[in-house]
Amino acid sequence: MASSCSQALRHHVCKSSRILRIHLQKSYRSFALNSAADQQPAVSSPEEIVIPKKKTWSKEAVLQALASAVKRDPTASDSRFQDDPYLTPKTSSEFKLFSLSQESGRNAAKYFINTYPKYFQKDYAQPHIPCLMPETLEAQIEEASEAALIERIRMRKVKAAVDLYDQLLQAGTSVSLDVTNQLLDLICFCGDHDPAQENVPEQRNEETEDVQDEPQAKKGRAPKASGLLKATWKENNNAERIFALLSEPNTHSYSALIRGMVKYGAYSKAFSTYTDLLNNRLKADVQTFNALIIAAPEVKEKYNEKWELIVDLLKQMAEQKVKPNLLTLNAVLKALRRCGTLGKSQAFPVISEMKALSIDPSLASYNHLLTIFYKTGATIQGQTDILQEVMNEVSGKSFTCLDTKDMEQAYRVHELLGVGENWRLLGNDFQQNIYYARFFSLLCMMENIDVMLKWYRDLVPSVYYPSSNIMRDLLQALDTDNRLDLIPQIWKDIKQLGHANRQNLVEELLILMAREKHNQEVQESFAECALDIKKIYDTGDRGKVLLSWTAGSLSDLISVLLAAHRRQDAWEMLKLFKTHNRVPSEELLNRFLTCVKEAGEVNQAVELVQISAGFCLPETPKLIQRVQQEFELTEQQRNMLSDLEIQTFNSD
Amino acid sequence: MSKNMATSLVRQTKLLSIVSSQLNSAACFRNIHCTAACLKNRAARIRVGKGDKSVTYEQAYHPHHIGHRKGWLSQHTSNLQGEDGAAERVVEDVFIRRFMYGTFHGCLADEVVIKRRGNLLVICAVMIQKLLPSKFYFLIGYTVELLSHFYKCPVQIEMQTVEEKVVYKYL
Repeated sequence: MASSCSQALRHHVCKSSRILRIHLQKSYRSFALNSAADQQPAVSSPEEIVIPKKKTWSKEAVLQALASAVKRDPTASDSRFQDDPYLTPKTSSEFKLFSLSQESGRNAAKYFINTYPKYFQKDYAQPHIPCLMPETLEAQIEEASEAALIERIRMRKVKAAVDLYDQLLQAGTSVSLDVTNQLLDLICFCGDHDPAQENVPEQRNEETEDVQDEPQAKKGRAPKASGLLKATWKENNNAERIFALLSEPNTHSYSALIRGMVKYGAYSKAFSTYTDLLNNRLKADVQTFNALIIAAPEVKEKYNEKWELIVDLLKQMAEQKVKPNLLTLNAVLKALRRCGTLGKSQAFPVISEMKALSIDPSLASYNHLLTIFYKTGATIQGQTDILQEVMNEVSGKSFTCLDTKDMEQAYRVHELLGVGENWRLLGNDFQQNIYYARFFSLLCMMENIDVMLKWYRDLVPSVYYPSSNIMRDLLQALDTDNRLDLIPQIWKDIKQLGHANRQNLVEELLILMAREKHNQEVQESFAECALDIKKIYDTGDRGKVLLSWTAGSLSDLISVLLAAHRRQDAWEMLKLFKTHNRVPSEELLNRFLTCVKEAGEVNQAVELVQISAGFCLPETPKLIQRVQQEFELTEQQRNMLSDLEIQTFNSD
Repeated sequence: MSKNMATSLVRQTKLLSIVSSQLNSAACFRNIHCTAACLKNRAARIRVGKGDKSVTYEQAYHPHHIGHRKGWLSQHTSNLQGEDGAAERVVEDVFIRRFMYGTFHGCLADEVVIKRRGNLLVICAVMIQKLLPSKFYFLIGYTVELLSHFYKCPVQIEMQTVEEKVVYKYL
């Protein structure tokens, strides 16, 4: 009885623990996918709901749950800035300036921390936070031994490591192949010079003298403009020297050397080293092959030769039984970029072969694919279906969207941006700007104005500061959709973004405002806007005039003012024609006259005629006639007018 | 006569010293006071003057108004029952206040408020718009980096700017 009871109990416990384990696993996985704290218990079958006995959360679970509840605030600027109107950047140049000055402040602090580390040694933090300790830049172990060499390699001090190695060899102690390989790796990775250390000025003084000798010595290749900034592989440098000293170089050493050569531009040397390796009957590893594939387009000239070389390398890889990996795929695709039309035909077969070898293409592969294919839109179709994996360097992708004018794609791209980690792929600020500029221009072209404005309000200026071209596109979109009443708001934005000094933008704005007649309040707002624009024209910063009047812009401004019945302002503007040596047009004067007639100002009418006579305009006689007919003139005025008439008649 | 007075004086002082030594031994002390006098009824109070001294809200209200008309300048949990580290927090606060005063010299419009949430240290300051925003950001980046390395905890600055010091009244 008892035994059967206990057996049943044991059985039950086993079963429940198994269920528990399965559900725990399920809950782990589901939690990883959704960052929100999912309170729903895992369901094993449709009927029964099994609530797990214990659920453990990761350390950041609470933070992730809180973060998922908060969306981006479209009214705030980027989170790295302070939330104060004086300290928020309003234009893209301010954005860059403020973030760079914050960075430089941080670098200044880092300099102090690393120069005087003894003040920052006291450790308050439980557990220890290593990134908040000052960096130890000096090597600890002094005596010449392998351990010291390993330490210098770890700290990436190339010169010190090489010197120590030479010291060790001279002293007679043999350095193991492993450590030598590590040293070779370091040298080839860093290109035989120390990675830049700005924080410690003392070291800089010592090293400048040494470094100055080396560039004057032989250079590997003729440097291109961009190559001047990168280091080049120098002849007989430390890597080759140490390599030569090795009695039995193994695959690792060869691989390090070849990869270093490829990284720093000595491509043909890389291939000759590879032949050395083959002659020594060694097998190359996958990294070597990757490097060689990258180097292949550089050594051959014609497309098919390049492709043949790559195929040759791949075949050798297969012979040596080296499995290709993801980096191989990316290297091949990157090389295909340089192969022109041949690349396009070969790209897909390459991908399918790699897939057959169960190498999934990564984001970088898709990027390379796009750059091969960027003219055709067909590539996108396959990729966007694989939502989780596919996200590309967005500038390339949005470029294609623009080409194909596909709004659907653009939205999908933007959505992908919101998923998980994909925001990282937006790249640095510059590429972000490109992406948003393209997105906006697409929106302006394709969508109606309400959608456009919704996106505009969402993204500007918290995420993106549009350029003046984008503002022009926006104005044109407003025009097509007949929403010109929104112009004053857009003008305010333009001023805030700092584009108010662009001549074409302002003139286009004026043209759009002056073109048609709108209802009263719209005209009023236009008039306010026009007066604002006039202020920009008149007073430049520190007396410098930013914009110059043209006849067109002046006329537009005056017509806007007239349409809003601001006769006085318009009258003053008319005087500006003379001061800036511009000639008013006929319709403007006619319109002015009509306006004046409505107000019944006779003097102004006569003055108007005098002005037009002053400019010797051909329509002066018509104006005179109009005035004579439509106005009641005093004797004096009539005489003046007849004088003018005779004058113009004589001049004709 | 004078000799009589002198001798009586000497005798009196001798008496005094004997009495005081006896008093000392009897455990009632009157020792020499050698620090500056820090009277509690003169701390953090700006006295009423001619009417030309401008004073902020923080300065206008005296310490007994804390909790009634003023808030606390430093917020942490070490003064609760069972929590320790109050003295260390005070020392850190003093250092941070001096650091802010020196780094943003002449720009502080009011006292710095220091808040601690977990191990995050939030320094809230109101600044006068004396410097360009880029210079402010340089100093902010510098302060954040230096203080977080110094105290081994994340430091955040929340800054607000005003055009001039906000005057509450004139004393």
